[in-house]
Amino acid sequence: MPDLAATEGSDILVKRWLIPVGSPVKRGQPLLEVETDKATMEVESVATGVLAETRARPDVKVEVGEVIATIETLP
Amino acid sequence: MTSIANGDFRAELLDRMIRIRTFEEGVRFLFLEGAMPGTIHQCQGQEATAVGVCAALRADDFITSTFRGHGHALAKGLTEQQLLDELFGASTGCCGGKGGSMHIGDMSKGMVPGIAIVAGGVPLAAGMALAFKMQKFDQVVACFFGDGAVAEGAFHEGVNMAAIWNLPVIFVCENNLYGASTRVDLVMKIPRIADRAAAYGFVGDTVDGNDVEAVFAAAQSAARRCREGEGPVLLELLTYRQTGHSRRDPRAYQPEAERKEWVARDPIETFVARLKEEGVLDNAAVERMRAEAAQRFNKAVERTRSAPLPSKDDLETDVFAPEATA
Repeated sequence: MPDLAATEGSDILVKRWLIPVGSPVKRGQPLLEVETDKATMEVESVATGVLAETRARPDVKVEVGEVIATIETLP
Repeated sequence: MTSIANGDFRAELLDRMIRIRTFEEGVRFLFLEGAMPGTIHQCQGQEATAVGVCAALRADDFITSTFRGHGHALAKGLTEQQLLDELFGASTGCCGGKGGSMHIGDMSKGMVPGIAIVAGGVPLAAGMALAFKMQKFDQVVACFFGDGAVAEGAFHEGVNMAAIWNLPVIFVCENNLYGASTRVDLVMKIPRIADRAAAYGFVGDTVDGNDVEAVFAAAQSAARRCREGEGPVLLELLTYRQTGHSRRDPRAYQPEAERKEWVARDPIETFVARLKEEGVLDNAAVERMRAEAAQRFNKAVERTRSAPLPSKDDLETDVFAPEATA
């Protein structure tokens, strides 16, 4: 989870995943929607591959830096 | 004097803009990956203002910048490595790792470290230009600031001082329509920022800030005026921020239609189209430029990841200026 809150380092609420597990995803494509202490925003994928797993559930707050998803990239 | 008709020079303008975009996009992902500390203020969409102005300056001319300074720095000749190291807080950064994203600069390349206080650079640029004038140097200062700066007291004090003493300053207002999230027409009664110059008795001009050649031409003529003792000049460059105010800003205040309109006027893509149409560059040459910029950035990232951080011994260095020798 990137550090997106206005108050640096504060927890971030996961709203919903925009792509189902198993789908292909491109670097820069919006992956999930989150709510920070200031705004609702989309978080973009940092890699191109397949969304293999999501670890953060909607409506649950996540710490900055926590792994929220795994993307399998092609070798 | 550089000729605008020179194909190599125009290719160089494009190359510099591509390097800035590549840097900013790369940094955006480093931030999302959590590799980079702190927030960052980026300039995707505004590359033509930095490149057009700096291309019209001499190496020994100076610029002052803001918290959104990555483009200005790369345009003034700082390297990707110097910047990236600074963004990561490494001692090999352009400010020894003590400045970070908002304070990048390199005095040897004519860039005072970024001034993050809105309008803070305006009086400072006037002071620098006064020093040049008193020492009879013929350098000029290009002072970058945004539309959010022009209602600040420091702006009015600084431009007035530059005006009464005919100082060699090009005041460069990058009008990207929003001061953070506030639309410029909510905080300014007149439609054109350039008109403010008239109130102080000097020349102001509004230019398409997404047209790098128009910016270059305006800055070149402004620099000439300044060197001839007919400064200052205010240039209002109309442009658009294709990214948040900071990485924590989803820019919900920018209407979708407005965003699309400005993406269609992207400074890089419109210039690519023009150069291709006029036969200056072909597709392959442009793709090579993009690939080289990406390679240069990736190489810089590799080196930055293992760059040394400042040590305890660095704590008291760069705090005071060395004592002047009589």
